[in-house]
Amino acid sequence: MLTEVHVPDDVTAALSLMASGAKVMAGGTGLMPWLNDHASPPTELVCLRRVGLGTVQVSGTTARLGAATTLSQVERDASLGVLWPVVRSIASVPVRNLATVGGNLFARQPHGDLAVALIALGARVSVADQTGTREVSVEDLVAGEASVGLVTDVAFELPAPGDFKYVKAARRRFNSASIVTVAATITVTEGVVTRIVVGLGGVGPRAQRAKAVEAALLGEPLTAATVQAAAEAGLGEIAPMDDAYASAWYRTRVFPVHLRRALLGH
Amino acid sequence: MTVKIVNLKVNGVDKALMAKPETTLLLALREHLGLMGAKRGCAQGACGSCTVLLDGDPVVSCLVPAVAVDGAEVGTVEGLADGRTLSDVQRAFVDGFATQCGFCTPGMIMSAEALLERNPDPTDDEINEAISGNVCRCTGYEPIVSAIRDAAATRRASAEARV
Repeated sequence: MLTEVHVPDDVTAALSLMASGAKVMAGGTGLMPWLNDHASPPTELVCLRRVGLGTVQVSGTTARLGAATTLSQVERDASLGVLWPVVRSIASVPVRNLATVGGNLFARQPHGDLAVALIALGARVSVADQTGTREVSVEDLVAGEASVGLVTDVAFELPAPGDFKYVKAARRRFNSASIVTVAATITVTEGVVTRIVVGLGGVGPRAQRAKAVEAALLGEPLTAATVQAAAEAGLGEIAPMDDAYASAWYRTRVFPVHLRRALLGH
Repeated sequence: MTVKIVNLKVNGVDKALMAKPETTLLLALREHLGLMGAKRGCAQGACGSCTVLLDGDPVVSCLVPAVAVDGAEVGTVEGLADGRTLSDVQRAFVDGFATQCGFCTPGMIMSAEALLERNPDPTDDEINEAISGNVCRCTGYEPIVSAIRDAAATRRASAEARV
């Protein structure tokens, strides 16, 4: 049961409460359903609603989103159009008005589509604890390879127009978790792929980067044949699960289709 | 466990209540303030029957600890009618047979209110997206979408009449 909900006014106070054992709650869309449904051990929460991490800054081509920025804020920010298809594919309006950018990095698969997109955008997060602040990639954070303090912001370079691709296959057009999510930042120069970062969701226990897919396409022309070969390479690095949305078998079968749709648009 | 005083402006009226840590905004509205419009359906943020406006935006109030929103403005379905005169969205739901058991209706109406506030002339696709978090198990969604479309037309007509 909940024994306390702290609502600190700044990050320093939040870190101090975390150090004494309180769990972080940003939008509450992940934690509160669990607390509402389960006989949890005595739990203290530290709520990030008032700590001042809810702002978006875009300077030049660098976007920096406070961790407590809601998905709806992203949807309404004229400078973050690249992320609009991503956030609009997540949950519903009354959930997006609560759910946060930082919280989505910790959403369990097959949720967490923003994390998939941020991996593809090469985003980095600032992680604070009582000893200071360090920067880690979203890829490492989501993979569990970075120790977790308090994520305070997420930063990435806005891609050139057309370079960012995003496809989410789901049971319904609105408000459904992922069957397969593909996000990619890709640059094609003089007919060959010169830069590619691919993020995947729905095909494993965590959002992940697809390095085998990237390696198969780098230096190659972007064609149906090369993308098919890249998808076959990618099958070796995914581990889809059975759940209420789709079977592992189905996810494996349709992964190449959605990779092709993301990268080639058809 | 600390019980805290939470101040809210609910449907334009200042209210204060004593909230335990586990008191959600939904519980505060229903059991402390006696506003039974918002419903407890799934308590997971999935069914939308608890949707209310928090500082103007629709949220699933079952996922919001009351102490986290001290000082906020909250809008519920009880605040829409003017005496015995229903709001345009409520009237459209009645006239369009868009409600059957009524459990989802207050949440559905608050989502519709928020949509029309931002977008006076929504397409069916935009209406579908706006209510995609509100589950109805009775009527099917067609009469609900039609009612929201009708309410939008009524609201636009009355706005033009005022000009």
